[in-house]
Amino acid sequence: MGVGAMSLDAMWNELVEMCNAQFESAQFARMLSTKFSKERAQQYSIQMAYYVQNRRDCWGYVQGSAPLDVKQLIWRHEEDELIGQKAQGKVDHITLAIKEGEVFGLSAAAFAHTPRLEGGEVCFSAWIRLSQRSWLEAIAASAVLEMRNSGELVRGGSLSRRIAEIFQRDLGIPMKQQINNAEHVVMDVEHAQLLMQVARKYAPAESARQAILSGARESLMIDRVYRGHLADMLEALP
Amino acid sequence: MDLVKDLCGKLDQMVNDQFTSVEFTSFLNVPLTLERGRFYVVQNALYTANRRDCWGYVQGSAPLDVKRVIWEHESDELINDPRAGMDHFNLTVKQGEVIGLKREDFENVQVPAMVQACFHAWHHIAMRGHWLTAYAASHMLERRNNGKIVKGGGMSFRVGKKFENELGINLKKMISLDVHVAADMDHSDNISEMFERYVKTEEDCERVLDGARESMAIDRAYRGALGFYMEKIN
Repeated sequence: MGVGAMSLDAMWNELVEMCNAQFESAQFARMLSTKFSKERAQQYSIQMAYYVQNRRDCWGYVQGSAPLDVKQLIWRHEEDELIGQKAQGKVDHITLAIKEGEVFGLSAAAFAHTPRLEGGEVCFSAWIRLSQRSWLEAIAASAVLEMRNSGELVRGGSLSRRIAEIFQRDLGIPMKQQINNAEHVVMDVEHAQLLMQVARKYAPAESARQAILSGARESLMIDRVYRGHLADMLEALP
Repeated sequence: MDLVKDLCGKLDQMVNDQFTSVEFTSFLNVPLTLERGRFYVVQNALYTANRRDCWGYVQGSAPLDVKRVIWEHESDELINDPRAGMDHFNLTVKQGEVIGLKREDFENVQVPAMVQACFHAWHHIAMRGHWLTAYAASHMLERRNNGKIVKGGGMSFRVGKKFENELGINLKKMISLDVHVAADMDHSDNISEMFERYVKTEEDCERVLDGARESMAIDRAYRGALGFYMEKIN
């Protein structure tokens, strides 16, 4: 293994450690220590649908600025998210989130008419700004959120898995009925590899690797702020 | 008055007017030589790549159902157009073989200064404008290529005919130009449908018209630039 490959590995290891550190942050710890009532689960579920929509905004911008072969990778990534896998009977992830909401007693109208959390709106704007930076920073900013949701990379389970386990513990809803969380537990393991795939080709230089780390670092910072706002929202609900 | 019908009428007039502009007539009147043809085909690949950038940005800002329409649109362009059996960049590269171009000619090309400025201008609208403005700006370039709307044929058709008449290369052999003659009719129609869904007020109309006007101005500058550079080639 050459020096370049080692450096790439070092970058990857740092990214993985950054993702793991998210779960030790005050904001994540506060959100994940919340006891979920039905109402809290409902609001969390609605706000996460907005989060998923913001991901679609950001990935669109990243697709816009990336080189052609990376655009193709992102297009395929967005198929699962925006369109679904019709041949496998899988719906898009927004529809999936709304469908999962039914187990918490939510209607599609509740998703349509509940406003975005104010703090969430600010974080979404910040993520969009980040997605309009240089393409390596931008792709890292979006991809790292899927790394943080990969059970292969995060010790103790990804965010989707941890939330699913809380819903099961507090509300008695089995994982298999949480179709959106269950899908992301599997899907983000696969999607988490996208960044390394891109980095192998486009980050032979130190400056490129630093751009990736910088984009990822900022995105995870926004992620912590976002989870803090979600924790505030949950605490304010019965 | 039907707001969207009236809007579409204005857009149709604008795309037709492009072809009587000094920049378009100048570009379309430059006699083709093989070298000029090669220059054009390579430049057209860069233009196609710029379109992919801009549609990505528009997908970023558009509402979810419009994102899905753009994603489908980009399937032909980025992944595989069933009309051609390949994506549009590879289609352009393959078309280049007919006039002696190799893949390296596309990969190593320098973007001329005036062209670069146009690409940045299109990026700017796509990334910074209201989504309807950005959407209209990208859509107009396909509308301007739609032979059902442009009297005398869209840009791909006219350039294809120049290759046929001036270089003796049948339009069917210019596979990228030929595919775009049909593809941009479909794309233009599909994308146009979104106006029916989202243009509800005069303000919405103005957003669309702003994007259309700006994109057509850049398009004229771009064609003028291509004509300028082509005239410098023997």
